[in-house]
Amino acid sequence: MLSSVNFTHDTVIADLEAGLGTLTRLGNAQVDVVLLVVEATTKSLEVAARGADLAREKSLGRLIVIANRVRDEVDADAVRKAFPDDEVIAVPHDPAIVEADRHGVAALDAAPDAPAVRAISAMARNLLVMAGHNGSGAASV
Amino acid sequence: MKLAVVGKGGSGKTTTAAVVARTLARHGTSVVALDCDSNPNLGISLGVGDDETERLIAMRQALDEGEQEHAPGWDDLLDRFGTDAPDGVRLAVVTAIQNPEPGCP
Ligand SMILES: Nc1ncnc2c1ncn2[C@@H]1O[C@H](COP(=O)(O)OP(=O)(O)OP(=O)(O)O)[C@@H](O)[C@H]1O
Ligand SMILES: [Mg+2]
Repeated sequence: MLSSVNFTHDTVIADLEAGLGTLTRLGNAQVDVVLLVVEATTKSLEVAARGADLAREKSLGRLIVIANRVRDEVDADAVRKAFPDDEVIAVPHDPAIVEADRHGVAALDAAPDAPAVRAISAMARNLLVMAGHNGSGAASV
Repeated sequence: MKLAVVGKGGSGKTTTAAVVARTLARHGTSVVALDCDSNPNLGISLGVGDDETERLIAMRQALDEGEQEHAPGWDDLLDRFGTDAPDGVRLAVVTAIQNPEPGCP
């Protein structure tokens, strides 16, 4: 599916199913960026490590590891240590995210200045150069 | 550019996808957000609300039951099965638009 999407939009972002099923089914180079979201728990790190391997095997472009719900430097270090050669972005544990979900609203609207929102936004702005250069979705198939 | 957001269940994929989609859109990129989860809730994190998210899912189920024909092209699918989210993001729940199996094939 992702391989064949061909929108007249600059960017397509897919929120995939939990786990690695979809990644396993993706063909080579079918996406340009993989955002690998991981918590500093053994289970989450295990899934992410396999995800990173798959992303590399399949040449899925730029891999960004999002260390989410980081509570302290210990959490952040655990993720950095597991992905020493990758770009790791730390997103703090943030009650504003939980609160937004509780009310069924977007964190970006309810708490635009919340630390987790800011961290994810900053990472996204970093992708703008790529989004711009790649032009239409059609060109990047 | 195509981005895939992956990770273990509950790690924060949907939260991340929503903030990234809207941030890119705010900076002038045209963005399609695809909810590939078999339990779709990206709409809520994007800020389209419960009702609209439910409506998109209901559409998906109608498709599952073969009540609607497949649209010819991707842009048509987006028109017919998508919705406008804040900042100009176009959201579609795609799990079953093309394939009744869960996930993005
Ligand atoms: N940085 C954060 N700080 C605090 N809570 C968070 C953070 N990120 C996500 N959460 C909470 O964790 C839960 C899971 O987040 P989210 O729905 O984004 O994960 P997911 O990976 O999409 O889950 P699923 O696999 O079920 O689709 C939600 O209740 C959300 O509010
Ligand atoms: Mg999710």
